[in-house]
Amino acid sequence: MSNIIEIEGLSKRYGDLVALNDLNLTIDQGAVVGFIGPNGAGKTTTMRILTTLLQPSSGTARVAGYDVAQNPDAVRRAIGYMPDFFGVYDDMKVWEYLDFFAACYDIPPATRHGMIDDLLGLVDLGHKKEQYVEGLSRGMKQRLCLARTLTHDPQLLILDEPASGLDPRARIEMRELLRELQNMGKTIFFSSHILSEIADVCTSIAILEAGNLVAHGNIEQIRRQLRANRTIHVRLLGEREPLVNLLQTSPGVVHLQTDDLPADSLRFDFSGDDVALSELIQTAVSHHIPLVSFREEEHDLEDVFLQLTKGVVN
Amino acid sequence: MTNLPLKPTLWHTLRQNPVTLKELRSRMRGRRAFVVLTVYLLFMSLFLALIYLAYLTTSGPGGSGARDAGKIMFTAVLGMQIFLVIFIAPAFTASAISGEKERQTYDLLRTTLLSPSAFVLGKLLSALSYVVLLILASVPLQSISFLLGGLSPEELIISQILILVAAVTFALYGLYCSARMKTTLAAIIAAYGGALFVTFGTPLIAVLITLITGAAFITTGTVGWVTEATLTYLGLTLSATNLPATLVLSETILQQENTLLFYTQSIRGHSVWLFSPWPLFILLYALAAWLLYRACVRHVRRISD
Ligand SMILES: Nc1ncnc2c1ncn2[C@@H]1O[C@H](COP(=O)(O)OP(=O)(O)OP(=O)(O)O)[C@@H](O)[C@H]1O
Ligand SMILES: [Mg+2]
Repeated sequence: MSNIIEIEGLSKRYGDLVALNDLNLTIDQGAVVGFIGPNGAGKTTTMRILTTLLQPSSGTARVAGYDVAQNPDAVRRAIGYMPDFFGVYDDMKVWEYLDFFAACYDIPPATRHGMIDDLLGLVDLGHKKEQYVEGLSRGMKQRLCLARTLTHDPQLLILDEPASGLDPRARIEMRELLRELQNMGKTIFFSSHILSEIADVCTSIAILEAGNLVAHGNIEQIRRQLRANRTIHVRLLGEREPLVNLLQTSPGVVHLQTDDLPADSLRFDFSGDDVALSELIQTAVSHHIPLVSFREEEHDLEDVFLQLTKGVVN
Repeated sequence: MTNLPLKPTLWHTLRQNPVTLKELRSRMRGRRAFVVLTVYLLFMSLFLALIYLAYLTTSGPGGSGARDAGKIMFTAVLGMQIFLVIFIAPAFTASAISGEKERQTYDLLRTTLLSPSAFVLGKLLSALSYVVLLILASVPLQSISFLLGGLSPEELIISQILILVAAVTFALYGLYCSARMKTTLAAIIAAYGGALFVTFGTPLIAVLITLITGAAFITTGTVGWVTEATLTYLGLTLSATNLPATLVLSETILQQENTLLFYTQSIRGHSVWLFSPWPLFILLYALAAWLLYRACVRHVRRISD
């Protein structure tokens, strides 16, 4: 069983609104998958279907080999879920909170004590064991909720924006925690709005936009997918007119820009590959065009994100 | 990996239901629960002492005065118990499930392996345990009536059984409202609406029926004994849906006909079998409790769409 999540043709409609449109996605065992998309893209909807909380309009989803609709208990056993918004009980101590959920997962009382200590150690809340949950800070509650998802040692963690509302330091700690969980052999499927922040923990990312999966793969694949249209910056000595004339007749050059740039610079988008680009430079040199710099604009990950999700969400 | 069905036995549910444990832990934590219990008992004792003193000063010890005092004290405690069962029990449970929704803890629970029936039973037991504690705590006070001679063991036992059965049914009704409604406010309104209806609505309907049929009697002159017997049965059945009516009527029948179950009465020259309403009450309320429980579990199990 190498695919722990298998989603086929999954759709979810709320009245006229299509929250999820024919989603197909598989996730390998042991992967750490970032689920990225702007507000309202359908991330939470997908996760709620996977965690047996929501009925899909059509399509199927299987978790650890079990259909979420046919076999919800087996699915629940396999996953630990942390929702985007969640509450905690008042009048409950930190260890009681974990003890309660362990009991809900039928963990025998004898094994709970050691396990609770281990989990609190993992999320760095060991010193808060006897305190009331309501007295914890937001970040601590988030970590406690993460510990809660681990009480029954699930294979798969589904975390809906685990880093939302955390300060920069806590976000880094959360990332470290995810890495640790990956080392423990967990498959992690988590959502976020911020691509650059999670890129280095993920083994792959899935980008969702208005209910459609627009990209899925590892970061490099997605970058390459974008390189179909790279942006080139050129600076040269003297007039740019000769180069402009040359570029206008060259294949692969699209969207030539000179406005709002200094008189010695220009910018264009190029749809060819590396070979074509190299040929273009040689042609320019052979026409005695005095190039000073010729560089490709580095797409940072946020640009990737913005380019993939061109604001289709209304 | 096999998919083990998680059907908890009743014993398992009673003994180690995580929901019951959690709720009782937080309810009994701190002094509030004990303060409420103490104040409640003090208040009841004071009230009963006043009744007793009033009778003592008017008729002296012994004799029929003490008997009457015993009766009144019993009735006073019973009235308090009725109030507890009809208005406090559903209030305890009406927030049980909707509160989880409002606090956004419901989804966390529903992704665990906790079965819907264990969840519903856990909530029910934890709410009931406190109400039953308050009811049982007042039984010793009621027993004073024994000493005064105004009360028979049957009266005490049957009244307490009725109270407990009603407590379960009203608590389940509150729980059902809580499972149905999104907010606790809506659940409490629905729970009180229902409780008020069965307490005051059905007697009102009975009165209306009596007035209408009474008018019919007058216009048509006499009616046959069959019609009158049918109406009597209808009235008895209707009163078996109402806790105070069942208690009063069963007591009256015990006093006048000297029976706990059946008696005959002559209606227009025909001898008719009639019954004391309390067994029917237990039957109806147990049935309602079962149906409400099933409905609760169904609601909790349902995956939202
Ligand atoms: N219960 C509901 N009823 C109606 N529409 C809903 C409901 N839940 C979600 N939606 C709609 O479905 C779409 C997807 O919502 P979803 O919560 O899955 O987005 P998301 O990607 O998690 O967004 P965010 O980043 O803001 O959390 C949104 O347009 C939302 O308005
Ligand atoms: Mg969301």
